[in-house]
Amino acid sequence: MQIDTISLKRTLPRVFVNEQIPPSEIWKKDVSFSRGHNYVIEAASGTGKSSLCAYIYGNRRDYEGEILFNGTDIGSLRPEEWQELRRTQLAYLPQELDLFPELTALQNIRLKNSLTGHVADDKILHWLKELGIDSRADYPVGRMSIGQQQRVAIIRCVCQPFSFLIIDEPVSHLDEQNNRIAASIIMEEARSQGAAVIATSVGNRIGIPVDTLLKL
Amino acid sequence: MKKIIWKLLRKNISNTQLAGFLLANIAGLAIVILGLQFFEDARPIWEDEDSFIRKDYMVINKKVTSGTTWGNRSVGFSQKEIADLESQPWVRRVGRFTSADYRLYASMGASGRNMSTYLFFESIPSDFIDVKDADWSFKPGDRTVPIIISKDYLSLYNFGFSGTVGMPQLSENTLSSVPLGISIRPDDGRPRVDLQGRIVGYSNRLNTILVPEEFMEWSNRTYGSGKPQESSRLILDISSPGDVKIKQYMDAHDYEIAGDKGNSTASYLVNVITVVILSVGVVITLLSFFILLLTISLLIQKNARKMHSLIMLGVSLKDVARPYGRLVITVTSVSYLLSAAAMFLFRNLYLMKFRAMGVAPAQPWLALGTGLLLTALISLFAILLIRRKVRNSFYTV
Repeated sequence: MQIDTISLKRTLPRVFVNEQIPPSEIWKKDVSFSRGHNYVIEAASGTGKSSLCAYIYGNRRDYEGEILFNGTDIGSLRPEEWQELRRTQLAYLPQELDLFPELTALQNIRLKNSLTGHVADDKILHWLKELGIDSRADYPVGRMSIGQQQRVAIIRCVCQPFSFLIIDEPVSHLDEQNNRIAASIIMEEARSQGAAVIATSVGNRIGIPVDTLLKL
Repeated sequence: MKKIIWKLLRKNISNTQLAGFLLANIAGLAIVILGLQFFEDARPIWEDEDSFIRKDYMVINKKVTSGTTWGNRSVGFSQKEIADLESQPWVRRVGRFTSADYRLYASMGASGRNMSTYLFFESIPSDFIDVKDADWSFKPGDRTVPIIISKDYLSLYNFGFSGTVGMPQLSENTLSSVPLGISIRPDDGRPRVDLQGRIVGYSNRLNTILVPEEFMEWSNRTYGSGKPQESSRLILDISSPGDVKIKQYMDAHDYEIAGDKGNSTASYLVNVITVVILSVGVVITLLSFFILLLTISLLIQKNARKMHSLIMLGVSLKDVARPYGRLVITVTSVSYLLSAAAMFLFRNLYLMKFRAMGVAPAQPWLALGTGLLLTALISLFAILLIRRKVRNSFYTV
């Protein structure tokens, strides 16, 4: 199935249930994300930004309220259905990157790309070059700096077809120039697929055009 | 992709633990396979009719006491007693001895000498008889009656009697060719009937003079007193020779086992030892199975984060579980093959002796099949465990 809208209905992390939470435009509200739009979610740390991404990506279920894909509650999805969505509908760049340190940059990227064969190898190499890490392509990721790892993870997350790209603080360790390049790679891929981008940020915001800015 | 997944997940595989599993599993499986194979190979030894071990057939009678001598207590088995015997779990079939209900006179002549004596006949259902002979049949009107006598009788004559009275010793064949005159002398004064008897076989199992059941039925009907007869001896086909319950039952009912020389304990011991050895093998195999489960659980625990990261990428649960499934199948297969090899190796040692005894080796399929089944079960359970663990690692919270 193609996901056109992701809706949150009065969603709230369970840990916040008995707490007084600061005013939020997402928690305990009805919010929708649609294909073709860009969203930036700004949040202070500790307000549940990574939790929100994990809920939408199906990695965690510790929330109250509902999250719906095209009106269907995601609580009913089986692991096999999630895996299909993660290959073709939902792309995700977690804040902790989740790269395999013993694999090289290229191996990490190709592992993801091999699931769908979505991106040609030339293009991957081109992106590595654009982000200035082509010389590190065959280095084990574990020996790279956080900033370099972040660039590998950015390339990896667009190596699949998607309707929604969820990026959790994607440029926290990138300089101005790399931020711009990363943003252009992401936007190029999102536009060509008519997809939505949902980006979170605490401070350093990715340089994509913003249609909706939400405060968490 | 599969290569890279394997590269990621093979980390933390403990060769020591796998070697531990292999060692234990090979020991257990080899004991099971070899035990079964030995049982199969040696089976002809105790299934042989003349074997010292086998004693599936048992002839029983009631103890003769002063009560029976003076007529207070019947030596015959009543219908109720027979039905009770038949209902015992260790009894497969019960056959009744039928005695001749008339007086018999037998005479035998060879080289001008003649011997004659009163005689008795008994019959039992022919499938209890251990002598296979095509002539074992009788139709009313036949002049010749086939007879089977106990081998012991011939021995008694040859080694006990003939020498002291100056008679020639007789071989089985000679005796079979000597014509035997039989005359039936009914009690009610009817004229005697003369028939020809022919010894067609010698029984190890049955200590009596046997005629075909058809003859017995016909002659009793025609010449007998007509009084209903109770069998005083029964032959039992025993399903678990050597079972202690048999002895207990016989003692409790005051029955005697004819020719009870205690051979059945040998058969009982063989059964018990086989069961003990197989149980030990199965227990060791089970323990090795737990080693495997622990090894895998530990491995999955150590690699849990990587497995979860793979799942986060969208790799299917099957693809995440597959490397460990393959690992399990590889080690269990190696273990099975080595156990089978060990079995053939040890088997050769005793087969030489068996061949010298003239015992042909059995096919190895039952033992190999059982080993394969155990291996398949172990692999299956381990794979199910892996799948469950992978599935359980799907959600972080």
